[in-house]
Amino acid sequence: MENLILTKKKVLQINEDTFILIFEEDPDFSPGQFVMMETPALVRKPFILGRWMGKTAISVKIRGKGTKYLVFEATQIRCHLPLGNPFVPPNERGMAIVSTASITMASMLNEIYGVEVLVGSRTPLVMKTPFETVVGDNAFEERIKKLDYEWYLISGSIEMEKKAWNILKKRKTEIFLALEEYMGCGIGACKSCAIQTKYGIKHVCTDGPIFRGDELCW
Amino acid sequence: MLVINPPIVIASGVGGFGEYMHFIPPEYVGAYTLKTITYKPKSGNPPPRMRAGEFYILNSIGLENPGIERFLKDVKKGEFNHLFEKVKVIASLGGESKDEYLKISERFSEISEKFEAVEFNFSCPNVEKGGLSIIENKQEWRDTLRLIRETLPNTFLIAKIGMEGIFVEKAVELIKTEGWDGVTLINTIRGLHMDAGRNYVVGGLSGPILKPIALRMIYEVRKHFEDIFIIASGGVYTAEDAKEYLDLGADAVAVGSALFKDPNVVEKIVKGLSDRITRE
Repeated sequence: MENLILTKKKVLQINEDTFILIFEEDPDFSPGQFVMMETPALVRKPFILGRWMGKTAISVKIRGKGTKYLVFEATQIRCHLPLGNPFVPPNERGMAIVSTASITMASMLNEIYGVEVLVGSRTPLVMKTPFETVVGDNAFEERIKKLDYEWYLISGSIEMEKKAWNILKKRKTEIFLALEEYMGCGIGACKSCAIQTKYGIKHVCTDGPIFRGDELCW
Repeated sequence: MLVINPPIVIASGVGGFGEYMHFIPPEYVGAYTLKTITYKPKSGNPPPRMRAGEFYILNSIGLENPGIERFLKDVKKGEFNHLFEKVKVIASLGGESKDEYLKISERFSEISEKFEAVEFNFSCPNVEKGGLSIIENKQEWRDTLRLIRETLPNTFLIAKIGMEGIFVEKAVELIKTEGWDGVTLINTIRGLHMDAGRNYVVGGLSGPILKPIALRMIYEVRKHFEDIFIIASGGVYTAEDAKEYLDLGADAVAVGSALFKDPNVVEKIVKGLSDRITRE
């Protein structure tokens, strides 16, 4: 874990509101881990780490001033990483179901473990990706219903995750979910990113960010 | 006597149990205050626990901590030795009632010599019992202060107070009368964050918004009490912020929420204070 500066090398637009930021530096991290990035706001923001075109990258969905700053203004971004726990797939017979905001993490899983990837997007993609993509809520739900894998990792907005979870939970499969919660420190000190689980309070930064679906109170 | 040099303290709560020492070279930390330990374990408040606006951070952690028995066990097992070896450590203690404040003091006395000081949290705005509410009954609080002093006769005792519940000068008068050594001013103050959808979170406010309020509290306390040790806390992001507090008579300055913006902020602040540290 270190506090460093990442230099933006390239920005790629994926869809209407989400961008891939590719960095020059190559810090050490594993799929599933995240970075806290400094913006003009008072609190650093968490982004799940990944790789794109062989380089360290994150996906950023524009949500407000901080994300606009990262995508359109920042050149060198102060941050600390790697944070959270790596995700190691149980086997090769699983799929990562991700929003465009998690596409770089999925790409890294694909690169290292050969995990298949399904991308869900509300708006059409404006760039080519190597992954199957479905556009719109209905198409996403219909595609999820047809999937047949031994395990799934779902990473996207809470609405998207719940849609996929509600379909897949009825099957005898392992489901993992990447969670988001407002974070102060990202390192386990402040206890702000608490979530309620069946086993009590857990923290997204130190217990996650990826959790087993069957421990969540969903 | 407590000597904090450089005069920068990692604030309780934000600093957890020493996690920020991953980022900060020890020579830049005057003292590290651990997260508040209560008599019983506390799982904290239900989420959401944090939101931020342009000039403030609002938290509702609710003193999540493992409780004094687990803490004693961990300290005795050496779990905090890495911290004790690097920096001066201040413990932070709390409870839900006078009885719990006294019982935790007794239990803490077993390990008190490992700590430079102990800060009692009389001001957390995020718990239903204890914290801020403990000072509501002035007589009971006075008794609590006296009995803790008797239980920990050789420990440097610091009371962490806010700006609610009692005029700060009056609070410090009580604290001093009962033989305590110092105060940490101020804790977060009660606030409410509302988002665009009219969802809201209540909690304690920290960040830049707190600085002018905390500066006034330091000013009032130092004006009335020349010899109480003051750790100033509230919106310290830069060396200039810290200098303002030191110029008003604070003995040390706590850095809390600023760590969320930059885990290395303490090093920058201390470098900015280098002229004063040399002079001292």
